[in-house]
Amino acid sequence: MPIFRSAPRAHALSVLPDVACSQPVSAAATRSGRGRWTFFVVALALIGSASTVAASPSTSALADLGRKIFADESLSASGRMSCATCHDPKFAHAQNNALAVQPGGANLDVPGFRAVPSLRYLNVDLPFFFAGDGTPTGGFNRDGSANTLIEQASRPFLAAHEMANGDAAGVVDKLGRASYADEFRGLFGGDVFARIDDAFLAARYALAVYEATAPELRPFSSKFDLFLKGKVKLGAQELRGFAWFNSPAKGGCAGCHPSTRASNGEPPLFTDYTYDNLGVPRNAKIPATADPDYFDFGLCGPDRSDLAARRDLCGAFKVPTLRNVATRKVVFHNGQFTSLREAIEFYVQRDTNPGKWYPLGADGAVRKFDDVPAPLARNVNTGEVPYNRRPGQAPALSELEIDDVVAFLGTLTDGYDAATDTADPARDLAQP
Amino acid sequence: MQRKPLALAILLSCAGLAPAAHADDAKLKAEVEALRAEVAELRGIVQQMQAQRAQTPASTAPAAATAVASSAPSAAVSAGAPAASIAAPQAPTTTAGQPLPGTGSSGLALGANTSLWGYGQIGYNRPTNSAGDTRADLSRAVIGFNHVFDEATRVYGEIEWEHAIASSSDQGETEVEQLYVEHTLAPNYGVRVGLVLVPLGLLNEHHEPGYFYGVERNFVETAIIPSTWREGGVAMYGNTESGFNWNVGIGTGPNLGAWDPAADEGRASPLGSIHQELQLAKARDLSMYAAANWQGLPGLQLGGGVFTGKIGQGDAALPVNRSRLVLGEAHLRWQPGPFDISALYTRGTISNTQDLNLQFLGQPTPVPKSFWGGYVQGAWRALEWGSNSSLAPFLRYEMFNTGAAYAAQPQGLGTPALPTQRVWTLGANYYLNPSVVFKIDYQKFRYEDLVLGYGNRFDLGLGYQF
Repeated sequence: MPIFRSAPRAHALSVLPDVACSQPVSAAATRSGRGRWTFFVVALALIGSASTVAASPSTSALADLGRKIFADESLSASGRMSCATCHDPKFAHAQNNALAVQPGGANLDVPGFRAVPSLRYLNVDLPFFFAGDGTPTGGFNRDGSANTLIEQASRPFLAAHEMANGDAAGVVDKLGRASYADEFRGLFGGDVFARIDDAFLAARYALAVYEATAPELRPFSSKFDLFLKGKVKLGAQELRGFAWFNSPAKGGCAGCHPSTRASNGEPPLFTDYTYDNLGVPRNAKIPATADPDYFDFGLCGPDRSDLAARRDLCGAFKVPTLRNVATRKVVFHNGQFTSLREAIEFYVQRDTNPGKWYPLGADGAVRKFDDVPAPLARNVNTGEVPYNRRPGQAPALSELEIDDVVAFLGTLTDGYDAATDTADPARDLAQP
Repeated sequence: MQRKPLALAILLSCAGLAPAAHADDAKLKAEVEALRAEVAELRGIVQQMQAQRAQTPASTAPAAATAVASSAPSAAVSAGAPAASIAAPQAPTTTAGQPLPGTGSSGLALGANTSLWGYGQIGYNRPTNSAGDTRADLSRAVIGFNHVFDEATRVYGEIEWEHAIASSSDQGETEVEQLYVEHTLAPNYGVRVGLVLVPLGLLNEHHEPGYFYGVERNFVETAIIPSTWREGGVAMYGNTESGFNWNVGIGTGPNLGAWDPAADEGRASPLGSIHQELQLAKARDLSMYAAANWQGLPGLQLGGGVFTGKIGQGDAALPVNRSRLVLGEAHLRWQPGPFDISALYTRGTISNTQDLNLQFLGQPTPVPKSFWGGYVQGAWRALEWGSNSSLAPFLRYEMFNTGAAYAAQPQGLGTPALPTQRVWTLGANYYLNPSVVFKIDYQKFRYEDLVLGYGNRFDLGLGYQF
C-alpha cells in the first residue's frame, strides 16, 4: 500500500536518495554504513510505489505541511520544543539565545553537544563525498553525517537531548493528534498513521520539501544581494571590509566562503561546502566537556561513526554559510564565541597571540588547540591565510580592518530595507 | 611543386576571361582554339609534375620549412587538391595565404574525396630555478580531416587531445578546434560556416609545431591573442589579384559572466579564460572580426585585424551588459632568402568593467581594462643537409601585459596594473625532414611567477605534421 495518495516523484528527485546517485564513486566508496543505503533504497521504493495513485500533491502543499510540522511543539516529548524552537525563523532559522548548546529532552533539561546552525541557504542536493583531491565536501549536519534532508530530520525527532521521542512510533502518535492530521492523511493516505515507518518518513519528507523550497529559507534579500543586482551601493566601510574579506593577502575568507556568483549564475552562498579544522578553543559551557576525555571531533566522531579511522579528519567541521552570520547569537560548532567580532579576532590573532584564546597548561605554557588531544593538533589548519603567522607577527587584519569586515558581513543579513539601511531576517517571513 | 597551383590559377583566370563579350564570332572561335591549345599544354605540364611527384614522395615541403626556405609569396605555395574524383574546390588557405593542413598535397588520402591530416607535439620544460616543476608532456595530438563534397563544397575539421589523457580525473582535454563547411562562391572568395579559427595574428590559424619557432607557442599569441582561438559563426574569405587575403566574420564571442576573479586564468590570458569554444556558448551578443594580409611583394607579409563585440551575453544579473571587447593586432613577416623575420603587436580593451570589479573587490584577478603584447623574432636557416634537413636558430623578444590597466575603484581598494613581462627566447628548430622538427630553446623572463608559468627555463620539443 502506498504511503502517499499521490505521486511525489518529482519532489523525491530533489530531496531524496536520488541525489546520492549523482555523487562521485569516490563518495559512495567512503560510506561504510550499509544501513544508510538500505534506508535510501527503502525510502525510494516506498515513494516510488506511490506513483501509481491519485494526482501529485503540489510542492506548496507539501511545503505547507512541512512548515506546520517544523513549528509544532507538540511533536516533542516535552510538548514545548519544535524544530523552530532552536531554528527560530526570526533569527534566520538559527538559535535565538546565546547558549552554547540548547537544552532538550522531556523536561528540557538535557544539554546538547553543538551550537545550532542556521537552516537558511542549505545545499539541498549535495550528499557527503570526497572530492577528487580528497577534500571532504557536502552532506548535512556539522559533520556531514546525513546525505539527505530526510535522513537528517530523524535525529532531532529522536535524540534524547532534542525532541526525545525515542522512536518513530512516538513521533507518529503525536502526528496523528496534531491539528493538521487530516491534511497529513489527505496527502499520504487515510491509514498512514497506522503505518509507523511510512508516516515517519512522510513527515520528514514534508519537512525536506519545506526546507528545500520555502522562499523564506532562501530569500536572497540582503543588502549584498541588492548590491550584486546594482540596486544599492555598499558604504565605504562595507566595501573595505568586502575587499579584506576577499583578499588572499588579508582575511582570505573567500577561500572557503566564496563571494562571487556560481558558474550557473546563482548568487554566492558564502560556503564551498567543505570542512575545515580551525582549532576553536574548548568551550567549558558545554556540560559534556566536563569530562576531560570528551572531544567532539566532527568528521571522525563520535557522533559520526563511518570515518572514525580517518584520524587526519578529526576536528574538521563543515564550513557554514556566512549569510545572516551577523544575526548569530553564538559562533562556531561549539558556540565558543558570542560576538561576530570576537570570532574574526580569533581567526586573525589565533596564531599571533595564542595566549589570548587558549588556557595555560600545567607547565605554564599556552595549550594551543586545547579541544583536541595533543597528537591530533597537527590536523588544525595552520597553513592558509590568515592562520599562517607566528606569535609576535602582525595579524592579517588590524583592529580597524576587523571592524570593516564586521560591517561587510552585516550586509549579508536577509530582509534588507533600503529606506532605513537596516536588515531583519524576520521581514522575509510570510505574514499571517 | 609550386608551378601546379600557378597553372591552375592561370586556368581559372582563363576560364574567367572566356565569357567576356566578343562581337566577332570568328575572333572568339580563334581565341577558344588558342585556349584549348594552352589547356592541352598545361595538362601535359601537370601530368609531368605528377609523375615527378610520384617518384619523389618525400619532397613535400611543409608550411614551416617553406616559410623558412622560400622567398616566394606564400600565397603561391598553395598546392593542388588531393587525388579526387570530384574536382576539388580551390585549396583553402589561412588569411595569411598559407594552405591549410590536409588540403593540397599534404595529408593522407582516404578514398577519392577525403584526406586525413594531423600533427603532434611533445615537450620537456625544465625551470632553472625550480627543478621540481620540470614537466614532460605530450601536449597535443591532433587528427584533422578534409572532405570534399563537390566542386565547391568541403567540410574541414580538427580534433585534438591535450596532455595525453582526457578523463574526469585527468588533466587532459578532448576538443574540436575547427569544424566548418566551406563553400566557394567564386574562384577568389567563399564562405565558411561552423567553428572557425579567428584570423588574428601569425599563429592562431596556423599553429602546427613545425610552423613556429620554439618549443612552446609565443606568449603574446597565447596570453593576449588566445590561440587556438575559435568561434562559431559565419566567415567570408577571399583574395585579390593585388595580393590581399581577407577574412571577415560574425559569430559568438567571449562570455564575461564566466570571469573568475579568484582564479589565475584571467591573469594568464584574459580572453583565454572567458572564450567559449562553442561549448553551449552564450550567444546573445554576437561579435565581429575583420582581418587582412597583403603579400604583394615576394617574401613579405603585412597584415592585421580587429575583433570586437559585446561580451555580457545578456546576463541580466551582472553589470556587464555594456561591456565591449576590442582586440586589434598588426603584424609583419619578411622572409628574404634564408632569413625569417616577424613582428607583431596586439592590444585589447574591455569597457565598463568598473561596476563588475566592484563586486570583485580584493580578489586577486579583477577584469582588466586593457592588455597588450608584442614581439620581434628573427630566424635564420643557417644549415641545410640535402633537400630535406635544415637547422634554423632563432631569437625572439616578447613584451606583454595581461593587466595593463584596471578601472578605478574606491581609494585604497583599486588593483595596480600588473608588471609588464619581458621574455627572451633563444633556440633552434632542426627539421629532420619537412614533416618532423626537433626544438630546443632557453627562455629568460624579466620576473618570475611560477603560477603563471613565468620562470627561466630550458625546453626541448618534438613535433610532427602530415
